[in-house]
Amino acid sequence: MTEERQIPKPLLSGIIYGEFAYWIALIGMGVSIVGIVLYLIGINQFFDPQVVLDGLFAGKDTTVIWKEAANSEVMHGHWYLQVLAKSDAIAMLGIGICCLAGVIGAWGSVVGMIANKEKPYIFLVFALIIAVILAMSAGGLISVH
Amino acid sequence: MKAFLAKRKTILKGVGWTLFVVLAIAASVGTIHAASGIEPMGMSPLMFFIGMLLICIAIGVFAVLAGVGGGVIFTPLFMGFTPIDSYIIRSTGLFVAMAGALVAARPFLRRGIANIRLLFTGAVPYTVFAVIGALLAGYIQTHMGKGGEAFINGALGLIVIGIAMLFIFFGGKSEYPEVSYMDKFSAKLGLAMPYYEASLGKVVDYKLTRVALGMVLFCGVGLISGLFGLGAGWAMVPVFNLVMMAPLKVAATCSKVMISLGDTAAVWPYIVGGGMFPLFAVPSMIGLIVGTLIGARLMLKVKAGFIRYLIIAVMLFSGIRLVQKAIGMM
Repeated sequence: MTEERQIPKPLLSGIIYGEFAYWIALIGMGVSIVGIVLYLIGINQFFDPQVVLDGLFAGKDTTVIWKEAANSEVMHGHWYLQVLAKSDAIAMLGIGICCLAGVIGAWGSVVGMIANKEKPYIFLVFALIIAVILAMSAGGLISVH
Repeated sequence: MKAFLAKRKTILKGVGWTLFVVLAIAASVGTIHAASGIEPMGMSPLMFFIGMLLICIAIGVFAVLAGVGGGVIFTPLFMGFTPIDSYIIRSTGLFVAMAGALVAARPFLRRGIANIRLLFTGAVPYTVFAVIGALLAGYIQTHMGKGGEAFINGALGLIVIGIAMLFIFFGGKSEYPEVSYMDKFSAKLGLAMPYYEASLGKVVDYKLTRVALGMVLFCGVGLISGLFGLGAGWAMVPVFNLVMMAPLKVAATCSKVMISLGDTAAVWPYIVGGGMFPLFAVPSMIGLIVGTLIGARLMLKVKAGFIRYLIIAVMLFSGIRLVQKAIGMM
C-alpha cells in the first residue's frame, strides 16, 4: 500500500479553493468583529440589542424579533446591504463575506481546473455544478421566501 | 476460561452503558423545568456576548478533543437547553460549522491530504440535499408552526441520541482500509490521489470503492445537515472511510472541506430568510474557532478518552431533552 517515491503535487484546483476559502473567510470574520464591536459600543444600531436579547430568551421567532427590535418586517434577501451604515449590518456583512468564501473558492477551483487542463473532465462538471448551486444560493435565488 | 472472561467483560460493559443511559435520562428529566425558565435577568448585550464567547470556546475545545465538529454539539445543546427559537439556532449552527471548515480547508488542500476529486464527487449530492434541507427548514418554520417545531426537535433529538450511540458502539475506524474489489463505477472515476504521509515518511497510495453507494448516503447526510443545522463530519467520515474505503486521514480532511462547501449552500437560505442575528452568530463563530485552536494544542496533553465520554453524555442529555421538548409541544 505504501511505497517511497517523490511527494505528489496537490492539484491546482484544490489549492485555489483552500486559499480563497481561508483568506476570504478571515476577511469576513475581521469585518464582522469590527461591526459587532461598534454594535456593542452602541453606534448606529439597526436591531435594538436589548430587545433582540429579550426576544431570544423569550423564544420568539425571527418575524417577531424583527418587528420588535428593528420595527420592520423581515427584509428577505441581503438586507444588510440596504442599511450598511448600521453597525450590526456591518457585522452581518462580515458574516456574508465569510459565507461567500466557499462560493468564490468553488468558482476559483473551476477556473483552476480549466486553466490547468485537469483530467478527467468529469470533476470539472462536478465542480461546476457545485459552483452554480452555491452562486444561486448566495444570490438568494434558492429561497422559500 | 478466556472466552468466559471476555463474555463477562462484554456483559459488564453493556450493563455499564445501560446504567449510563438511565442516569442520562434521569438527569435530563431533572433539567427540563430549569431550562424552560431561563430568562435574560437584566443581562446586558455585552455580558451576553462575553457569555456566548466563553460557552462557545468551551464547546470548541471539547469538540476537538472528542474528534467532532463544533456544530454538532452547538446546535443540539442550544436547542435542548435554551428557549432560543430553533430556526435561529440552526442557522447559527450551520454558520459556525461552515466558518470552522473554511479556515481548516487550506492546509489540508495545500498538502494534498484532502482529495479535491473525492470531495467534489461527494459534495454534489451533499450540497444539493443540504440546500433541500435548508429550504425544508424554512418551509416548516413558515407553514407548520408548533407542529413543525415539535417535529424538528424530536427528529434532531433522535439523531443526536443515534450519534451518541454510534460513538459508544461503532467507534471502530480503519486507518488504511484494504480494498479487495473495485466496482466499475469507482474504477472509471479514477478518484484516488496519492498523498505524502508525514508520520510514515512515505507516499500513501489508496483505492476507493462503492462510490455510488457513498453518493447516495451523502444525500441523506446533506439533508440532515441542512435541515437541522449540524456540521455533518460525524456521518461523512464513516461514509468516506468505512463505505468508500478512503484512508482515515483522507476521510477526515475531505469531510471537513466538504462541510465548507455544502454548508455554504445551506446557510444562505437562512440568511436571506432573516434568520441570523449578529449578536448571536458572531460570538458563537469567534468562540468556536478560538476553542478549536486551544483544543488542538491541548490535544497533546489531555487524555481524549475521558472527553469522549463527556461528549457522549452531553449528546445524550441534549438528545433526550430535545425529544422531551417535542413531546411537550405536541
